Amino acid sequence: MKSIPDDLLYSREHVWVRVEGDLATIGITDHAQEKLGEILSLDLPGADSYVERDEPFGTIESVKAVIELISPVSGVVIGVNEDITDEIEVINSDPNETGWMIIVDLEDPTELDDLLDARGYHEFLIQEAEVD
Amino acid sequence: MAVDEAVFRASIRKKAPPTLRFYGWRVPALSIGYFQDYEKEVDGEACRKFGVDIVRRPTGGKAVLHEQELTYAVIAGADSPLFSPDVLKTYRMISGCIAKGLAEVGIRAEMEPDGRQAPDGTLRSSCFSFPSRYEILVGGRKICGSAQMRSHGVFLQHGSLLMAFDPLRTCAVMLPHRDRERDAGLLRNAVTSVGEQAGPLVDEENLCRVLREGFEQVLGIRFREGPLTPEEEELKGELMTKKYGSEGWNKEGGKSEWISGL
Repeated sequence: MKSIPDDLLYSREHVWVRVEGDLATIGITDHAQEKLGEILSLDLPGADSYVERDEPFGTIESVKAVIELISPVSGVVIGVNEDITDEIEVINSDPNETGWMIIVDLEDPTELDDLLDARGYHEFLIQEAEVD
Repeated sequence: MAVDEAVFRASIRKKAPPTLRFYGWRVPALSIGYFQDYEKEVDGEACRKFGVDIVRRPTGGKAVLHEQELTYAVIAGADSPLFSPDVLKTYRMISGCIAKGLAEVGIRAEMEPDGRQAPDGTLRSSCFSFPSRYEILVGGRKICGSAQMRSHGVFLQHGSLLMAFDPLRTCAVMLPHRDRERDAGLLRNAVTSVGEQAGPLVDEENLCRVLREGFEQVLGIRFREGPLTPEEEELKGELMTKKYGSEGWNKEGGKSEWISGL
């Protein structure tokens, strides 16, 4: 059973966002890690770099493919999870918590309006499965 | 490489139809995977000595020596009815198309449904040391190595179909160097080629034709040949200058300062 916590927002690119004030913590969803399979490598932006909504903020390689990670928000990166570089398996085992990737200082909080809540993301996954 | 990514970026902008490309390399080249460690897995000195260019791919996987081979690329929206949002299903479908084409020249290709781990002692930096899931084998030996990338619901899968295989040369340009005769022997047993399976009469041109037909038959479509669009040409130029022609990208990959978000 896929984990879709209620306290997160979700993009259609399978990225989750945890909002605390003006800060957004970002990672990939349980569905994404399951689809990717075993994750082997990860490239994330450095602190102080700028990420833009709908543009890649990083790259991930699994046994199956290289995937560009698409940022759901714009802003300056103020935190990067350095621990996952050494312990990359946590992206598979705990994608919603210890597998977080970056923290962004939100430039425009209204961008969050386009994201899905847990229920909406669940429905989106069902629709996507039907296409497949 | 730049053309593959240009078509891929244009597809993200919905400005390219599903695309199939075949190409060769004017001079031999070693392509390495997005995350491969240049220092540990490439013998730059040997490449220079043999006149082999080095380029880093946008896709993952291990190193491929492009010499006596045919490279293919398929670029399409994952929501295209021809393919699938699922990575593995896309591999399986494209492998099915290639196998169909190979059958036309008398090569009975099969797919490796589960993939295999690299056996101990093999040259892990080489793509052809072991098959991934749904890659194409003939008689249990790998004939085509493929890799995929995805972004914004668009995929690029490209791969190398061997016309002939030189295991010693392959070992010479990749690291680590150990017992080269032994490494080459293991690779020779794990790999085959179109030339070995179908003889010298099947050249790259024949192969392009039967592969194209294989895709058309399996997918139930007809391809229309065409040049790059002006937008793809522009992107190609930018990618060649800023990315694939730069030592930073080719040596350091994503850690270099190449400009993303094209």
